[in-house]
Amino acid sequence: MSFLQYKTYIEEGDLVIAYITRENMMPLVVNPTMTYNNKFGTFKHSDMIGKEYGSKISSHNGRGFMYLLHPTPELWTHVVPHRTQILYIADISFITTYLDLKPGSIVLESGTGSGSFSHSLTRTIAPNGHLYTFEYHEERAKAAKQDFERHGLSDLITIECRDVYKSGFEITDTVHAVFLDLPAPWDAIASAKRAFKQRRIGRICCFSPCIEQVQRTCASLNENGFVEIKMFECLIRNQEVHTIPIYTVKDAVSKIKAQQEKKRKRREQDGEKDHTTKSQHKQEPPNLYVSKTPTEARGHTSYLTFATFLPILDE
Amino acid sequence: MEIDQSLSEILSVTTEINKDIDKNIKGKKVKGVEEVEEVEEIEEEVDIEVLEEEEEDTCYIHDNQYVLILLPSGKFGVFHTNDIIGKPFGHSYEIHDRDKIKIIRNVAFREVDETDANNKETIDDPSKQKLSYEDIEQLKKDGLEGQKTEYSKAKYIKRKEAKFSRVFTPVRPTLYSVWEYFHTKNPSKIREMRIDSLSQMLTLANVRAYSKMLVIDDTQGLLISGVLERLGGYGVVIGIHDGENHNFDIMRYMNFSKKIYNSLRILSWQQVFKEEIQAPFNYQNESNLSEKELKFYHRKKANYERIESTRELLFKGGFDGLLIASQYQPESILETFIPYLRGSRPIVIYHINKEVLMNTCVHMRISRIYLNPTITESRTHPSMSTSGGVDFEKISSKRAKLNKED
Repeated sequence: MSFLQYKTYIEEGDLVIAYITRENMMPLVVNPTMTYNNKFGTFKHSDMIGKEYGSKISSHNGRGFMYLLHPTPELWTHVVPHRTQILYIADISFITTYLDLKPGSIVLESGTGSGSFSHSLTRTIAPNGHLYTFEYHEERAKAAKQDFERHGLSDLITIECRDVYKSGFEITDTVHAVFLDLPAPWDAIASAKRAFKQRRIGRICCFSPCIEQVQRTCASLNENGFVEIKMFECLIRNQEVHTIPIYTVKDAVSKIKAQQEKKRKRREQDGEKDHTTKSQHKQEPPNLYVSKTPTEARGHTSYLTFATFLPILDE
Repeated sequence: MEIDQSLSEILSVTTEINKDIDKNIKGKKVKGVEEVEEVEEIEEEVDIEVLEEEEEDTCYIHDNQYVLILLPSGKFGVFHTNDIIGKPFGHSYEIHDRDKIKIIRNVAFREVDETDANNKETIDDPSKQKLSYEDIEQLKKDGLEGQKTEYSKAKYIKRKEAKFSRVFTPVRPTLYSVWEYFHTKNPSKIREMRIDSLSQMLTLANVRAYSKMLVIDDTQGLLISGVLERLGGYGVVIGIHDGENHNFDIMRYMNFSKKIYNSLRILSWQQVFKEEIQAPFNYQNESNLSEKELKFYHRKKANYERIESTRELLFKGGFDGLLIASQYQPESILETFIPYLRGSRPIVIYHINKEVLMNTCVHMRISRIYLNPTITESRTHPSMSTSGGVDFEKISSKRAKLNKED
């Protein structure tokens, strides 16, 4: 199993994303001696081997089922152990396009965090691109490195544990795009500038949740000769689709009448039940497809500050 | 942070220019997108000699390549396109001495001094007019009207500068810049698709090298361009188009290499269905044909074989994703292509009208072969002025199509 190529059948050692519900997904590495338990029962890993990705399997006590999905970077963002704040789909997508990433792109990322965005980046720049990613937290860097190896990405990723504020990136004239997810990106911009391939256009993105960070970042980008400084915010809103009956005012009148009739009958027959009146007024109204936004939705994630690196010129 | 400049014209640097080296190409320099039609034939010829090194190639301006030119909104001069060929993208040029160009230093933004001035005291009443005629004339001369904050002054200066400057910027055609051009110029051509929705489609559908994608494109090739670029020539895309001949017009502005074009196969709706049998090709003995007939015969034959092999590829199935931005009912499209998709593969459908997708969403829920259909709507700030209040919606069965045996 690799994040860079699909396969059809599940084998031992493969990563499977177990889909229980939309909110409940679980990454499983298939090991025939293991079982996975949840409130729907027990699932044997050995049952998964040989199944096609996308298959549905039932639990052993028959109380429930789940689907076995092929991992993608987007599914991984849902199930990645949250070691840090991660990027979400709207930001990931917009950054990828704005930084002009495609197969062959060479990208610098700092910090690596949980490595979730690194997965998306590497997917896009494969098979001939490269990602240099830096993380100052040693444990996180180790964990991310392990993930990259397990997911078949390590050939395309160079990960280093380093404090980039202090020692910079020590990469020169190499990358096409830079992504900085740091508390103080302005302290890394000068070093990032040297990392760019010097004779071609390049793009940088700084990811900061607060507007004060954006202001300092813009000032620093400007001082360092970056141009086209623009800030974006991406918002995504889910729409819940429902089917609802639409009653008319006549239905409202019928409803009252039905109630009155019921009362009258009850008085007359002293509580003896009569179903005829009920069915007489009950008419199925036409259904309508409607949508609404969820009552609670994710709002602001971060501001995306972009700028362009200009190629140096021969005078 | 400014977003008010727009890409005004598309310029195509064609072979024509190459031939006319050192000749003034005044009047020809900026080809509007309508005029580009004339260039089409030349493009086809050039198609064959595509440069090998793609990556480094795209950041320099080459001849036989499309270039977007960012122009000031006001009067504009003349320049020789030969003067920008071979230069890296990114810099802006100023026109001087009638038709000479020089690189100018780009200025990101100027510092704005903060003041206490605001519009609190501004009341729309002529009697409150405290300025004399002379004062007003003087202000007009200075180019600033009324009481303004430093921020609005800076904005105003910027606008005036943009109008009267003779500065232009060659812009590298990327998915973003090409989208920006068409979205500004003719949004209905691309079904009013916004760049954030296009980006999300590509991400949600996990478009990458070594995948086999199905793309239903009624956005004149914008969606196909995105998919082709992310495949980078590794993998295959079948693009389904409306009408008899394909209209993936936007594709050509992306300056794709031969390698990337090779991963594209094209079918019309008629060719998608098994029961719509193609008229069989009349194979002939080639030695009986004249040279002219032979040329025609070969073209016909290649075309027939191309369609037949693409149909075979489709019917064989095993596709990794389905992206739809079409005028046709999504349910009918799904019904057509679902048999050709593998299990656990993403489907992403775009539509400008949410209602269409609501029907699809309900259909998907009922049919039980899809997992987790979701409709999402997204916005990107700042964009109020550019989107004109039009939202896009899209549905993405993010998680997958299920195995049909289950």
